[in-house]
Amino acid sequence: MKNWFLQFKQNPRGIVGLAVLLLWIFAALAGPAFLTHTYTGMDMESQLTGPGVNGHLLGTDALGRDVFSRIIYGSRSILTIALMTSLLSSIAGIIIGFTAGYFGGTVDTVFLRIMDILMAIPPLVLSMVVLGILGNSTIFGLTIIVSLAYTPATARVARGALLTCKGNEYVDAARIRGESHLYIMFIEILPNTIGPVIVEITARFAYSIMMIASLGFLGVGLQPPTPDWGMMVIENKSLILEAPWTVLYPSLAIASLVIAVSLFSDFISKVMIHEN
Amino acid sequence: MKRQILILASLFAIAAMVFAGGQQDTEEKMILKVAEQVPNLITPGSWDGQAFSLNGSIYDYLIEMDADTGELVPALATDWSTPEGKVWTIKLRKGVKFHDGSAFTSADVKFTLERTQDPDLGHLKAQDFEILEKIETPDDHTVVITLKEPYPTFNFIFTDYNMAILSSEYDYVSKGESAPMGTGPFKLENLIPKESALLVKNDSYWAAGLPKADELRIYFVPDIDSSVSLLEAGQVDIVPQISPVIKRRLEALDGFKVLSPYQESRFIAMAQDREPFSDNKVRLAFKYTMDPEILAKACQGTLGKEIFYNETPIVNGLAQYKEIPFRGRDINRAKELLAEAGYPNGLTVEFFYASDHPYGTDIAQTVKELAAPAGINLDLKGFPRDIYLSQHWLNGPMLLTGWGVRVDPSMLLMLAYHSEGPWNESHMNNPRVDELIEMIRGEVSPQTRQGYYDELQDIFQEEGTVINLQVPYLVGVSNAVKDYRQPVTMLPQLKYATIE
Amino acid sequence: MDFLKRFGKRLGFMVLTMIAMSFLIFFLVEIMPGDVAQTVLGQSATEESVAALRARMGLDDPFHLRYLRWAGGFIRGDLGESLYMRGVQINTIFWRKVGHSIILALTALLFYVPLSLFFGVLAGVKAGKVTDSIISFFGLATMALPEFVSGIILITIFSVRLKLLPITSIIPIGENLWQNLNILFLPALSITFVMFGYVSRMQRSSMITVMKADYIRAAILKGMPRNYVIFRHALKNALLPTITIIGMNMGWLFGGLIVVETLFGFPGLGSLTMSAIKTRDIPLIEACVLFITFIFVLSTFITDMMYAYLNPRIRFKRGDV
Repeated sequence: MKNWFLQFKQNPRGIVGLAVLLLWIFAALAGPAFLTHTYTGMDMESQLTGPGVNGHLLGTDALGRDVFSRIIYGSRSILTIALMTSLLSSIAGIIIGFTAGYFGGTVDTVFLRIMDILMAIPPLVLSMVVLGILGNSTIFGLTIIVSLAYTPATARVARGALLTCKGNEYVDAARIRGESHLYIMFIEILPNTIGPVIVEITARFAYSIMMIASLGFLGVGLQPPTPDWGMMVIENKSLILEAPWTVLYPSLAIASLVIAVSLFSDFISKVMIHEN
Repeated sequence: MKRQILILASLFAIAAMVFAGGQQDTEEKMILKVAEQVPNLITPGSWDGQAFSLNGSIYDYLIEMDADTGELVPALATDWSTPEGKVWTIKLRKGVKFHDGSAFTSADVKFTLERTQDPDLGHLKAQDFEILEKIETPDDHTVVITLKEPYPTFNFIFTDYNMAILSSEYDYVSKGESAPMGTGPFKLENLIPKESALLVKNDSYWAAGLPKADELRIYFVPDIDSSVSLLEAGQVDIVPQISPVIKRRLEALDGFKVLSPYQESRFIAMAQDREPFSDNKVRLAFKYTMDPEILAKACQGTLGKEIFYNETPIVNGLAQYKEIPFRGRDINRAKELLAEAGYPNGLTVEFFYASDHPYGTDIAQTVKELAAPAGINLDLKGFPRDIYLSQHWLNGPMLLTGWGVRVDPSMLLMLAYHSEGPWNESHMNNPRVDELIEMIRGEVSPQTRQGYYDELQDIFQEEGTVINLQVPYLVGVSNAVKDYRQPVTMLPQLKYATIE
Repeated sequence: MDFLKRFGKRLGFMVLTMIAMSFLIFFLVEIMPGDVAQTVLGQSATEESVAALRARMGLDDPFHLRYLRWAGGFIRGDLGESLYMRGVQINTIFWRKVGHSIILALTALLFYVPLSLFFGVLAGVKAGKVTDSIISFFGLATMALPEFVSGIILITIFSVRLKLLPITSIIPIGENLWQNLNILFLPALSITFVMFGYVSRMQRSSMITVMKADYIRAAILKGMPRNYVIFRHALKNALLPTITIIGMNMGWLFGGLIVVETLFGFPGLGSLTMSAIKTRDIPLIEACVLFITFIFVLSTFITDMMYAYLNPRIRFKRGDV
């Protein structure tokens, strides 16, 4: 505990990141209860009005919808999908990466080569092509596809983490005891690699947020009227000269969330490496 | 030291870049610059051949429409007549040449018409021309068309943007997308697919004094709304098909204006052949949730001024239109009707639409909002337009589709509201409606026809499957452009336009 | 000798990757739902005409045949014919756009490399001090921004407030990109933001590591001027890992071009890919994605080779150094 406090004091940036992240999580969970407007409600008296006008904190869009409410509500989907993606890709990565690292030999070489090959397509391109051809995206679809795109990367990290522990004595001890491979991998090794794994999950979380926002921007985000931040940006891009708030605030929301998660992830990484 | 030089060099390069660019046009030529949506396909008749500025300039049509009066004007056809609507004799203009030098003759017209029936092409007008029985060409400048049944307003179809007259000797299958060619006022000089087209004046154009401009430059831009910044920067002069929000911006600026040459329809179609809309009570319930004023505002316009609402496919600009007052929004009545139909707790329906078409998302989201209080939950399913049209249109329980106005509404009725119509998106199946449509088609007397139209519109109001929202088609132009004409056929007649 | 062996191995792997990738891309795109023949003919087309078109397009041939036909053409340099725009050879539209994108990528490189190196070194040298904090934070912030977000911010500054540059650009007919360099500025700058963060951080940490090395500290203790030591000795070694990062990011940059080009309407490979996906123009999608992959793999390969060449340990491997 004391260690953690010390870490926090030495890394004010980490605190800031965590604070902003928690703020967004709070906004996602409890925010909608405090909203004065709904995210689909159309106030036809105030179409494209600026921040502060007619009780709309951040202004309205072309259909008279409250930008602030849409941003708050949008935080739900982006956080949910990003979280699920980072968890799913990490779990899949651990399973694959551990198997490759543990068994070594041909299995490892084959896995490694396959992962290297799969990493040859930038994940954004892959996701965009798949989602674009499918035509329309659901929360489920987005999660699965982005997780798939990220799994090769997480698998490599997991493999690396396992390899550092493979030679340890407790592994040999477990083997002598006759424990099964699964047991050794997940009961003995995993807890000892939890550091890098957590770092990877938080880093993935940040990347996922960027990815999902970008996919929304490219038009393959969630269906309207669900307020997908990336889609809000592209939908209103042509209005940037006339009503910049419709574009700027969703962009700043994305920026603040990604920066916060990155700061936090950075901090976690420092702590974990310090501890190890 | 090296570091500083590197930085200085970079800064210099940056500065050079910011202030570089932008060519001055020092020639005396009159050049029109148009920004158009990136077309998918440009060959006339192809499924999404919506390159209107391009095709309206490269090709000619048998008949044109006067942009102001809506009257039919001879173009490649100088005369057309029919005794009772079954046999049509069309006289063609003499001395017209295609851009490749070959002469325009009746063989070309025959080719163009027969092409609509080619199964390999998927011609947009295939169904319209199924009524053709035979085409004869007694001489180079006469075409005699015999139809399977009388159709007194058949000639209107020659103004359709898909009916560009093509050369029978040119290979449009392999060159239609890369080097199209016609008899039109501008010749294609260079085409970079999906990027730009350079057209030059056709010096041997058949209309004296036309085209007025020397050159036409068309830029294909993926995001038509952003191209408004090109308009402001002076890099283009004309931007068709802008969305209503952009209109507000342009009108506030000096030096630009927004034209609305004509109206388009947005049909909300409820499929009659399946639940829930098979029950007219449900259809009525939905109609009772509508609020035309809010819909108009969602389209950035005012009801009665730019935006119109009715529940029949006949638009208010047409002579056949019958004024039927709006039933008024009544959520309680809607709920009652739903309960009577067996949906006391409301229902959920998938609503398909094209998300990248002007007004598409705005209307879909507004409609969803309006229907919600009555318990009608619309599950919005937006797709890019060509995916929507090729996969979901004609298939969904509820659709939002853009329809251009047919100058002769009987064409539209036959296509979309006859139970056997090929584009019957709402799967309307009403024997009396079928009867009326067929009678309208064959009726020679306009007064009797009007009687049928009136009855038809009443039926639509009571039992119809469609909501018709009329929205303006908007074009942003710089004030330097004069005489921009675009009739309801959607084809800009750029041969008349000039620029100072 | 070892260098050549490494070269050969890497080259072989690159070829293997490309073959595997081409197969994967082809497979992925082909199994997607949505029938391109149906898209071309529209919904009211009859079953027969759609089937006939599919046959004409060669879509009914067995998978491996189609793949070989496509791959074979590719190797010969023939990217095939656009399926959607019949009669249009992909080659005519493809290479022009690729050229534009390459110029954009190089411009971004021109912007961010000097900036990142300079500030990375500065932050590393002044590690722990205020300068370092500011630079590091800035780097982290910009690295975290998706390209379109930095793009929007740039547009807000340059187009909305300063009114210096338009929000979207075209290349006027008859001109080429070189006569319109101003359209490169904002897109390249957006990419620069993201790259700057990443590379400057790398450069900083690499600089810190090198500065701690014994021979550096010895030189300073011996009385050599600090700046001299930095520039003559530390820098060279600190640059090496950064070169790796820059090289690898070239490929990643190409992937990010899609977002930037969409935002600015830049006529490059990114917008072409978007357009191809929208129209389900399968050969065009395949050509675009395969090319992006190729650049990615190629840049990794070149970086690896450059690293091996420049790193004396690998180049002159004679056991321990």
